[in-house]
Amino acid sequence: MGIHQKITGLFLLVSTLIYSQEKPSYFQPSVLRASATIAPTRFYTQQTTVALINGFIEYVLENRISVRGEANIMAPNGKLLYTNSPEKFPRNYTSIYAGFGYHLGKRNWKFDIHAEPGVVIAEMEQQPFLIVPAPYQWSVSPSYMLKGGTSFYFSKYCHFFAEINYSNGWIRKTPFMSVSIAQYGISAGLGFHLLTKKK
Amino acid sequence: MILFAKIQNQILSYLRYMKGILLIFTLTLGFCFLGQADRKYTPAGMLSLGGRTTVSLFNDHENEMTGTGVGGQFRLRFSDAVNTDWFFDYITSDILNYAHRTDYHIGWSVLFYPINQLAYFRQEEEFKPKFRPYILAGHCFDYSKIEAKDGFSPLDGPMSAERWSSAVQAGLGTHLELSPRFDISLTGQYMIHLGNHIETDYDFTTGALSFNEHKGASLAGHVLVTLSLNYKIAKLWGFTRR
Repeated sequence: MGIHQKITGLFLLVSTLIYSQEKPSYFQPSVLRASATIAPTRFYTQQTTVALINGFIEYVLENRISVRGEANIMAPNGKLLYTNSPEKFPRNYTSIYAGFGYHLGKRNWKFDIHAEPGVVIAEMEQQPFLIVPAPYQWSVSPSYMLKGGTSFYFSKYCHFFAEINYSNGWIRKTPFMSVSIAQYGISAGLGFHLLTKKK
Repeated sequence: MILFAKIQNQILSYLRYMKGILLIFTLTLGFCFLGQADRKYTPAGMLSLGGRTTVSLFNDHENEMTGTGVGGQFRLRFSDAVNTDWFFDYITSDILNYAHRTDYHIGWSVLFYPINQLAYFRQEEEFKPKFRPYILAGHCFDYSKIEAKDGFSPLDGPMSAERWSSAVQAGLGTHLELSPRFDISLTGQYMIHLGNHIETDYDFTTGALSFNEHKGASLAGHVLVTLSLNYKIAKLWGFTRR
């Protein structure tokens, strides 16, 4: 690559950066954003990795503060990746969280942290060794989720996001020891947003 | 004629009595308006909504382990120095590996800001995040249920016991105000249950579990550490200088 091509390339890159600086800020109060994605999640105390379907909806209240609700549902046959202790793991698993987010960064590239209390609704086997077929029972358990991530708002309606989360809780309604649902997971994808109020 | 005089006297005394009340009422109203004229912005009347997560520690129940909970609250501020939390908590915990306990708390706490007058707590034009410590005390109603882990005994049927009781709590905490409307609050408090209580007897040799309900006052309690996230959604009353 000659020097002229390098200079032209550099010029184009700089022009792109300047162009991007002139773009309006899509992240602002009253933005409503939502998405759904597959979130691989590791229940590390159970040594089980699960495919969860994650969906969230978030409303930006202030420049840095948002309120957010989200749900994770274990995909049908969701223990796709690896499981080591199937008898100690729920047959069905859904978690629902609601909390607040704090957003840092400039203009259209944001770094976010979220803290969300919530509940886990799970169905556990109750008598694994005594009765065939084994009875199952649903229970609701307190839980919480901490989440950190980044989002890039590249158009008026779309953004990319990537997040890592940690959540914890215990399913107590079990025949023996309670089951820890401590887990970490990742989620990423294309999100959609909409400005709900005009200035 | 005598009856008429009696009625007349009663009416007159009633009016004299009412005159006093009307005078006090008018003066009070006057002070209220006078107060308004000199009053700057006050946080009184501010309503917040939030979610919370709770850890229950040092439970008095024998063999009970650390519990975890989730809940919600709204917060209504009465004056610059006094706030109130109105909360609901759902807490679960293990009693070793033979039983588990579920607690529902619904109650209220008064938050008092003892050093709110210090210059540190005044916000200038540009908002700065600040800690705001408080002392808290309150009351709650609670419903507790203890269930055997296997949930069923072949001889006795479902193995569980439940009770309603009342409790009082007191502790310390602090808000971390991250924006004019948003705060994170961390509270540590001791809650004493004042009503009936349930005891579990477990025979580690035979594995037999039984529940005993004791009536009357008991000072069983636990430490609750609560982290809540709150957002101010409305101002129900309060004044600003015109």
